Amino acid sequence: MIEAIDLRPAVPAFILALTGLVVLLSQAFTPKGKTSPSLGLSVGGLLSALVAVWLMGQGRGVGADLGGSLVADRFALAFQALILTVCLGTVLLSSSYLRATGLDRGEHYTLLLFSAVGMLGLVSTTELVSMFVALEIMSVALYGLAGIRRDRSESQESALKYFVTGAFSSAFFLYGVALLYGVSGSTRLDRITQAVAQPGDGGHGLALLGVGFLLVGFGFKVASVPFHMWAPDVYEGAPTTVTAFMAAGVKVAAFGAFLRVFGHALQPLAASWQPAVAVLAVVSMVVGNLGALAQTNVKRMLAYSSVAHAGYLLVAFVAPWAIAAPAILFYLVGYAAVSLGGFGALAALAKDGREPLAQSDVNGLAHRRPALAAALTVFLISLTGIPVSAGFMGKFYLFGAAVGAGYIKLALVGVVMSVVSAYYYLRVVVSMYMKDPPADDPWGRIAPSAAVALTAAVIAVLGFGAFPAVVVDWARRAAQSLL
Amino acid sequence: MSTLHNHILTILVLAPVLGAVVVALTRREAAIVQKVVGLAWSTGVFALSLLLVRGMKPAAGYQFLESAPWIPAYGITYHVGIDGISYWLILLTTFLTPLAILGSWHYIDKRVREFVVFMLLLEAGMIGVFVALDLVLFYVFWEAMLIPMYFLIGIWGSDRRIYAALKFFLYTFAGSVLMLVAFLVLYGASGTFDIPALAERPVAPETQIWLFAACALAFAIKVPMWPFHTWLPDAHVEAPTPGSVILAAVMLKMGGYGFLRIAIPIFPNAFVAFAPWIGLLAVIGIVYGALVSLVQPDLKKLVAYSSVSHLGFVMLGIAAFTTTSLVGAVYQMLNHGISTGALFFMVGMLYERRHTRLISEFGGLRRVIPWFFAMFLLVCLSSIAVPGFNGFVGEFLILIGSWKFSKALVVVASLGVILAAAYILWMVQRVFYGEVTNPKNEGLPDLSAREWVVLAPLVGLALFMGVASPSFTRYIEPSVDRLVIQLRERTRPGALPARDWTASGRPTPAPPALAPASEGNRP
Repeated sequence: MIEAIDLRPAVPAFILALTGLVVLLSQAFTPKGKTSPSLGLSVGGLLSALVAVWLMGQGRGVGADLGGSLVADRFALAFQALILTVCLGTVLLSSSYLRATGLDRGEHYTLLLFSAVGMLGLVSTTELVSMFVALEIMSVALYGLAGIRRDRSESQESALKYFVTGAFSSAFFLYGVALLYGVSGSTRLDRITQAVAQPGDGGHGLALLGVGFLLVGFGFKVASVPFHMWAPDVYEGAPTTVTAFMAAGVKVAAFGAFLRVFGHALQPLAASWQPAVAVLAVVSMVVGNLGALAQTNVKRMLAYSSVAHAGYLLVAFVAPWAIAAPAILFYLVGYAAVSLGGFGALAALAKDGREPLAQSDVNGLAHRRPALAAALTVFLISLTGIPVSAGFMGKFYLFGAAVGAGYIKLALVGVVMSVVSAYYYLRVVVSMYMKDPPADDPWGRIAPSAAVALTAAVIAVLGFGAFPAVVVDWARRAAQSLL
Repeated sequence: MSTLHNHILTILVLAPVLGAVVVALTRREAAIVQKVVGLAWSTGVFALSLLLVRGMKPAAGYQFLESAPWIPAYGITYHVGIDGISYWLILLTTFLTPLAILGSWHYIDKRVREFVVFMLLLEAGMIGVFVALDLVLFYVFWEAMLIPMYFLIGIWGSDRRIYAALKFFLYTFAGSVLMLVAFLVLYGASGTFDIPALAERPVAPETQIWLFAACALAFAIKVPMWPFHTWLPDAHVEAPTPGSVILAAVMLKMGGYGFLRIAIPIFPNAFVAFAPWIGLLAVIGIVYGALVSLVQPDLKKLVAYSSVSHLGFVMLGIAAFTTTSLVGAVYQMLNHGISTGALFFMVGMLYERRHTRLISEFGGLRRVIPWFFAMFLLVCLSSIAVPGFNGFVGEFLILIGSWKFSKALVVVASLGVILAAAYILWMVQRVFYGEVTNPKNEGLPDLSAREWVVLAPLVGLALFMGVASPSFTRYIEPSVDRLVIQLRERTRPGALPARDWTASGRPTPAPPALAPASEGNRP
């Protein structure tokens, strides 16, 4: 008998995939010398997907699934909404950047959308093989994006490094899936939860081994130490808007899946993996922040800082689901806005193939682009975790979760490292506000689409910092849907 | 009218922010407009704050209370209110901000828009710290305030401004993050962030020790207490005049205020254990600050180190924790705000005239700028606590109030009073008396009308507070009296805190930190 398959959870992903194809085709039908409507099409597709997510959030379609390979619980929908927003922001930031760097080709948008399709799948599957497929959809598109500046060797290096480490981590992930299948006889998370709770003969050791491999796989994707080596080179070499998308989007999607697998499905084994995650958190915070301290290139600095932020996020994993999940989701909202904004602000200044990379490149920016400098300052303040910003509230919840779970020392490492981070984030502020600008103005005007994205990011960072209750309640509802 | 009265504290916090937004929207070139708007706006805020005077009652307990859910999921509320201590500190803030803007009318000649924006944001942050009655709210204002001050030092400061700004920021930030962890642990043990509620039911004495230490570190850096004072000379000397004035007059008060509002009422048992050490550090600070002031060649540095000495008195009064010494400590906070604020203004005025602050560059100014000299001398007399001036009232109350706490410390602290007279009067002698040896000092202009407007209120207030202290202390006394009674009840032998927790410092069973407070875990 054939069951009726409910395809509604897949609608947002379908919309994006279709949009990606249309964007690609529109290239072929655009006459030479005219620009194709890629930007408009992508924005339209992303907005429709957001509407679809919103409609499902209204109760229609929630809980439906395709044998666990795609679900649309509130947790998934919350992450999907966040990913689509990040993608929308990236698209808005991209158009002027692509023109300024001579990359204005449709495949950029197509790859971006395809990658987002993978991300949507990643956060809304409860089955490990589907999760792997989604991971690969996301990653393959990103390899292409990282190497899209074909004339630049850094870009090619970035793509190759990302590909090799990505493939490496995928193998770990897959091996972990296989081991857990061996324990439970299923790749579905609910079955795995049952199986690891009452393992048979020797099943416990096997399960732990599988969990360890999964942890390595996720560790690579979220760029936590010691699986972070790729991040600085890849972030630096990739086009800046792609870096923004990696920092914001990949982090959100990977942490969404990480949280669902570890925070929820593997909760019966929490006593075994929580100490390991705590160690990863500490080394990520320490190495990420100390590494960032040594950088003079702003992109590399932000890359190391993204490693550090992976560490902060991992801190909350030591808490029970009902506390950890909302804290992480809240932090990701703020972090996504800030990374998009931070990299986006650099990208928005691009002109004639050049963009500010060295710290001295932003000298005196407050004179020439006061609004942009103010926006970048807001992002850096939020990254440091100073109120009033979403970054402060996020850290407050993350460290609060750790303290509540009895891991006070973890929170102490986190706050001390935040002080270290203040030094390198503020260095950029020093350059912008306290150094004199160069005689000529090498940077471009801010395009309206980029201005919209950056303004939205500033409003989100400050707004959610001053009135976090809206997002907190939303995140708690999302987390409770899995209880 | 009643809306205004019921929400006056919120309005006082938000009004400067609104002003900052308005100024930020003006054109960059319109410097004079920005100055005028900034001055008018901050004067308006001062006028608003005078509404407090009409409604404030000289009674214990918080007044002008407002409470609204802020992050209801975690029981964090927007809870504001003031008592007799914060009342005066708010008035001090709103009083000094317009003066600081007026006092820097010519000194700040570049990037005026940003300057006015940061001054107004700073004012909002400072008022916020004094009104907050929720730990998270307090912390938000406490930290948010650092940013505008960081910019004030870093953009408009003198040569080593970037170094000084970073040092100031990192020092205070490092101190306060540990306090944040302490707040989180405290929440885990008590289930609330509400300051009055926490003061009603302190946690177990064993838990208090570490939490008090973390908070005390944050506040001691802010005061600053010896040996955590090293950021202060750099920040003060490099900061522009208005930055130094606000830093000395208001921001340093937040350390002492933090002890009185948070560290002591919430961790009474731990405070009693630490009090002798705080007293000792305070007295070391008094003598050390005075001795270092004695040998400073630079006027601004001298005033900066004298702050370390003066705030040592404040901390001695707090450590002794008698009603008399506390009234003295709070009074001395206000005095220091007025006299040191005025001193920084005047050093700035001298600098504007001569572009140097080295004492050796001056001499014989008494005859060149007699009015300036007269005002300067009055401020100095206030600073060294001559009877009839405000400083005398504060220091005298602190010393007699602390006598029972430790005679030895009081004796040594009195030495500080003499040293203060020495370094200040010696400085006055070198700068103003004798012959004009440096030809550059001839023909310096005397006080301008604008400078009169800045200085007259400060000097007038210093004299008024010296002779009419009861009109100030009658508000302070009930509030500190309540603190003393509370502390005595909580720490008398055999008294157990209202809620007893296990020795591990974690309650049993452990309520999840940041657990949903109201709704619980719905499955």
